[in-house]
Amino acid sequence: MAIARLAFGFLAIAVLSGLALAPLLSAGRPLESLETLRGGIPWGWWLRAVHAWAGWGLLALTAVHLGDVVLRRAERKLGAGIWWRSVVLLPVAVLALLGGFLLRGDAEAAAAAAVWREIAGSIPLAGPFLADLLLGALPGDLGAVALHHAGTFTLLLWLLTAEHGGRLWPDARATVLAGLSSVTLAGFLPPGLGASPAVPSPHLLLGPWYLLGLQGALVSLPAAAGWLLPLLLVVALGLVRHADGRARAALVAFCGAWLLADAAFTVRVLLLAHAR
Amino acid sequence: MTRRDFVADAWRAAGGALAALGVLALVRALRGAVPPKREVVLSDDLLRRLREAGGAADGELWVSGTPERPEAFRLVCTHMRCRVSPLPEGGFSCPCHGSRYDAAGRPVAGPAPRPLERLPVARSGGRWVVTL
Repeated sequence: MAIARLAFGFLAIAVLSGLALAPLLSAGRPLESLETLRGGIPWGWWLRAVHAWAGWGLLALTAVHLGDVVLRRAERKLGAGIWWRSVVLLPVAVLALLGGFLLRGDAEAAAAAAVWREIAGSIPLAGPFLADLLLGALPGDLGAVALHHAGTFTLLLWLLTAEHGGRLWPDARATVLAGLSSVTLAGFLPPGLGASPAVPSPHLLLGPWYLLGLQGALVSLPAAAGWLLPLLLVVALGLVRHADGRARAALVAFCGAWLLADAAFTVRVLLLAHAR
Repeated sequence: MTRRDFVADAWRAAGGALAALGVLALVRALRGAVPPKREVVLSDDLLRRLREAGGAADGELWVSGTPERPEAFRLVCTHMRCRVSPLPEGGFSCPCHGSRYDAAGRPVAGPAPRPLERLPVARSGGRWVVTL
C-alpha cells in the first residue's frame, strides 16, 4: 500500500513539475528549447530533472506494486474491472514517459520516434491511423506527442490511479516523500540530452531505459513484436485475477519469464552499443 | 423500459455517434496532412562534394556515383525506418538496431531485410532532380 501511495505521489510531482516546465518548452523546437532550459534559465536543468525522476519513480513503483500484488495473491481484493484497468496503468505510464522521451527532440528521440511509428503502424487494420494519432501525421512534428504526453496519457494515469486507490488526490506524506526523492535524485543524476538528429550517428542510440529490452528484441523480431510482446504481458497479468491453481501459477511463471527475457534483451542491446 | 432508461440509452447513443463522428473527422484531417512526394534539385555544392568525396548527404538523401551520372538513395533503414548514417570507411550504419549496409546500400549485417531505397534521378532543365 505504501508503494502505491508513493507512486501516486510521484505522479503528482510529475504533473506539478510538468506544469512548471510547459511554458518553457516548445514542441516545434524541442531540442532548442531544452538547450535553453538547461543553459539559459536558472535552475531549468534541475526542474527538468525533477520531472524526469518523478516520472521514472512513478513507472518503477507502479511496476513494483503490480508485482507485489501478484506475488501476495492480493489481486482479488479488487473487482475484475478495476484490476484490468490497474494493469493497464503500466502501459499507459510507459506511453506517457515515452512521450516525454520523444519530446527531447534529440537524435535518440528521433530514432525512438521512427521505431515507435513503425511499431504502431504494424498493428493490423488501425495501425497507420494509430501511428498518426499518437505521433502526428507529419514526421518530426511533435505537437501530437506533446498533447498526449501532457494531456491524454497524464489524464488517464490520474483517473486510473485515482480509481485504483479510491481517492482523487495523493496523500500529503507520500507526495512530500516523492517530491524529496525526486528533488534529491535530480540534483545528483540529471538526465542527459543527446545531439541534434541532423548530426549523423555511427553509434547505436539507446532508447529509454524501460524500453531497452524491447529495443534488443527488435534486433531479431519484426516490428509487430513491439506491441505484441507488451500486450501479452498485460493480458497475462490481467488474467491472473481470473485463474486458480496451476493456471494462475502458469500465468505468473509466464510473466516472470517475460521479465527475464526483457532483462536478457536489455543486456544484449547494451553489449551491442558497447561493441560499436 | 422506463422513460428514464430510454433517455439514458438515447443519451449514450448520441454520445457514441458524436464520438464516432469525431474519430472520422480526425482520420480525414490526419489523412489530408500526409505530405506528397517532393522533388529535390541536386545543388552545385552537393555535386562538388560528390566529386570530392564520392558521396554526399542532404537530409535523408544520399547521392553517390559521379556528378555526370549521380545515383541517389534514401538514408532510411529498411528495418524500422531510422535514419542511417554514412560511415567514414564507406557504407552505412543504423543507430537503432545495428544494421549495416555496404556503399551500394546493400544490407551486410543486422536485421535490415532489404537494400536502402533507391530514388529516381532525372535530368530536368539542365539540373539533376531527385524525387523523394
